[in-house]
Amino acid sequence: MALFSQTPTQNASRTRPESVSKRLVREHKEVLMSSWKRLWKAPLANLLTWLTLAIALALPAALMLLLSQASHLGQQVNQSSHISVFLSLDTTHEQGLLLSTELAKRTDIANVSYLSATQALAEFKSSSGLEDILSSLIENPLPATLLIEPTNSFLGPDAIDKLTQQLREQDNIDQVLVDMAWLDRLQSILAISQRFTYSLALLLALGVLLVVGNTVRLHIESRKEEILVIKLVGGTDAYLRRPFLYAGFWTGLFSAIIAWIILQLGVIYLHQPLLWLAQSYQSDWQLQGLSWMGSFCLIFTSCSLSVLGAGLTVRRQLNLIEPK
Amino acid sequence: MISFEQVSKKYHEKNALANASFHLQRGTMAFLTGHSGAGKSTLLKLIMLMAHPTSGKVIVDRQDLSQLNRAQVPAHRRKIGLVFQNHQLLMDYSVFDNVALPLKISGYNERDSGRRVRAALDKVGLLDKERLSPQTLSSGEQQRIGIARAIVNKPKLILADEPTGNLDPALSAEIMRLFQQFNQVGVSVLIASHDLELIQRLPHPVIALNQGRISGSASLMGH
Repeated sequence: MALFSQTPTQNASRTRPESVSKRLVREHKEVLMSSWKRLWKAPLANLLTWLTLAIALALPAALMLLLSQASHLGQQVNQSSHISVFLSLDTTHEQGLLLSTELAKRTDIANVSYLSATQALAEFKSSSGLEDILSSLIENPLPATLLIEPTNSFLGPDAIDKLTQQLREQDNIDQVLVDMAWLDRLQSILAISQRFTYSLALLLALGVLLVVGNTVRLHIESRKEEILVIKLVGGTDAYLRRPFLYAGFWTGLFSAIIAWIILQLGVIYLHQPLLWLAQSYQSDWQLQGLSWMGSFCLIFTSCSLSVLGAGLTVRRQLNLIEPK
Repeated sequence: MISFEQVSKKYHEKNALANASFHLQRGTMAFLTGHSGAGKSTLLKLIMLMAHPTSGKVIVDRQDLSQLNRAQVPAHRRKIGLVFQNHQLLMDYSVFDNVALPLKISGYNERDSGRRVRAALDKVGLLDKERLSPQTLSSGEQQRIGIARAIVNKPKLILADEPTGNLDPALSAEIMRLFQQFNQVGVSVLIASHDLELIQRLPHPVIALNQGRISGSASLMGH
């Protein structure tokens, strides 16, 4: 009667020398292969599921790709931003030069270029085409100007604010102009887009779980008879769950591959117009496809979601099928 | 091998089994009779843990079944070879794969499993049909596949629910001879059947059920 009290593992290892871990690896390999074969029994139905999931994956992935690269572009533009300081009209040339050398010593300022009132007028004359009218003026209406480039580490909005505040308190300074408004707007737009993308990703992840769950539910329903027999001859829950979890894995993998292809096609399609746009801003920015890391993340996310979706459903559905 | 102690099972306030007590000795072959609705299936279900008694104690192979939790049910079922009236074969599996199913579940590798499956198929005389689909076989052959599946794991107990229900007398006698052969090598066998004619011709003890009660029993019972 010792036979009876033995677990199947002991029973199995009695007949042949195979360790438990080896047996598990072999069993998992078998299920991996058999679930792979099962995929091709209904190729069209599976393809449709994969496409559905691929679209749900590609959409947030594409937005994330664009965002991560756009915020990079924002940083680039930020770096070229500068502060224009207009000196009061009664400032002498010497005072202007002195101020510029003093300011250049500050740690938050990388570079100061001084443009005297005369230089400013000359530049304005040549660029505006109003030479005649300007020549008729008795006095130069333009102030001397300082162009200030902040140090890279002081480019944040707070640091810039502090710097402009301090500049305004200086003698001889009439006006401080920072062209930051559009940068602030860009940052806000990026922040909004980011939150939008994350919410969308969360919703679509939920969608993936539901789609996979529903697919698995249908699979279980169609194999109900088989499941009943397996339960009656003593198949464990883990044994019954395994093929569905592996099916979930394959679903995730194929969906991710299709999503990846959709993304790369999108990048190729958008490449030229984005290049023109970037060039018009004198930027050499280009939209890149998914990196190796990005591709891995896409596949990993897709597979995890699918296996999770399958796991959540399979447990409940299998409990519903009991031999009566 | 099997002990029922004052076992009752109620479905919707109706007694499917009432105060049933019996004891099946190890290595015995016995019949369970009674017309449909008498509680035969209920009794087998309690042994298979497909149902739990409302009261009383069921002991199989020295194990009190009420002590087993959900996770221990599969291991308990693997100890028992179960033969159904309607075969419960999987039609999209080959004959071989149907019989191999209990071994696959227990984690046998292909070589050992193949050897055992062929031995079982040989015993029921279907060795040459292993690659076929059960659908292409006759009712008697399908029942023999079911029997091969029940014995492939070498259980010490075989339960059969109306194994000859759909078969003609000659085939029925043949199936019973198979069970007798397993019994001769020490396997305990409990067969639910209403085929009284067949049962009376065989020298095995009988547990008779009538409306959920054990109304008559032959020599085997300990109680």
